[in-house]
Amino acid sequence: MLLQKSIRSAVLALVAAGLFAGSLPPARAQSEASALSALSALPVASVVVGASAAAGAVVAAPVLLSTAGTVLVVKTVESTARGTVFVLERASDGAAVSVEVAGRGAGSLLVGTGALVTVSVIGAGTLLSVAGEVLAFIPNALGQALLFNERVTR
Amino acid sequence: MKLMNTLQHGCAIAVLALAALASPAAHAGRSCAAPQPPKTATVERAMTLAARTHQALEASGARVVVLARSGQDLGKYGLRYSHVGIAYRQDAGQGGHVWRVLHKLNECGTAVSAIYRQGLGEFFMDDLWRFEAAWVVLSPEAQTRMLAVLQDPYRATVLHHRPYSMVSYAWGQTYQQSNQWAIETLALAMQVDSVRTPVTRGQAQAWLQGHQYWPGMLHIDAVTRLGARMTAANVAFDDHPSAQRFSGNIETVTADSVLQWLPRAGLGQPMVALGL
Repeated sequence: MLLQKSIRSAVLALVAAGLFAGSLPPARAQSEASALSALSALPVASVVVGASAAAGAVVAAPVLLSTAGTVLVVKTVESTARGTVFVLERASDGAAVSVEVAGRGAGSLLVGTGALVTVSVIGAGTLLSVAGEVLAFIPNALGQALLFNERVTR
Repeated sequence: MKLMNTLQHGCAIAVLALAALASPAAHAGRSCAAPQPPKTATVERAMTLAARTHQALEASGARVVVLARSGQDLGKYGLRYSHVGIAYRQDAGQGGHVWRVLHKLNECGTAVSAIYRQGLGEFFMDDLWRFEAAWVVLSPEAQTRMLAVLQDPYRATVLHHRPYSMVSYAWGQTYQQSNQWAIETLALAMQVDSVRTPVTRGQAQAWLQGHQYWPGMLHIDAVTRLGARMTAANVAFDDHPSAQRFSGNIETVTADSVLQWLPRAGLGQPMVALGL
């Protein structure tokens, strides 16, 4: 009886050890149940109006960024104290817009001049993407209300 | 026979310990190993789910709900949701308000956790298994009591216990998983009116036991298969009673058990689900 119990215990431990360590599915970015999200660093951006951008402020997206499916070309990329400013241009007519991504978004570092940026419009704001990854999210008032992150305890 | 028992048990523990030591390398490249650039499709769906949940919560007239998400596929184990937090309306000044979620998160690859206050966007900003939210609107009394706790930095976090195991024993105090923190904090809110009346985890658990809370039961196959999605660092079984552990019955606070319990105990309305 004791032996049976110990074997069951050993099996449980071994299976746990083996499965947890060695049989994981191929790496993909699906979350664990309660893990701190690796995606939480959404690169929030704002439209540069005139000479300054108010990071985090709600600024109505210009027409250029209000039409889903619009494709823009990155004309310039400039690092600033607050983050990165991208000048984006519509190829058909040369209309341009500047957006400033706060901080150092993971995608910002990889995007250079000439990259194609796709505009998507969702209920919470505008998404600018390069090759299926988010370059910047420009929240509207609802989007601003949905985004907040504070670590409360150590 | 007894020596063999001890040796085998010791051997198994040693293997488990080695696996735990080796696990970080094995898990390199997972979402918790390094931040990933957010995928457009994921962000679109997460923010859409957050926006629709926001609208539904606004329309409900509720001030406090227990909010759930599906972070991983637990369907094989009869579970639909994986994680709960306490969502509540917070004044934002000038007559406005926002919804915030207070919840406990495990720091990937570690055996510790922390309490976070996040927006609905962050709550769903994850590569969810299923883009679906579920919530239970708490009873008027529970909302009032819980809101008082949520607005009190001391009571909101006093029952937080940093050591974390994803499958922590529901009635144990060695570890504390996320859903466990949420209902222990709810139990605290329901028990005391005084701001500084001390309540221990043991007292909170005793209250839960006296108010029809029944933990989820994961059987050995479920645990081992579930384990394929876990890191060794945030999984431990040593807090479970030996008899249950040896028979592979792991009693833990599942999100589904919480959502089912609240209406049963008269602490909330029937669950509402919203999927994309």
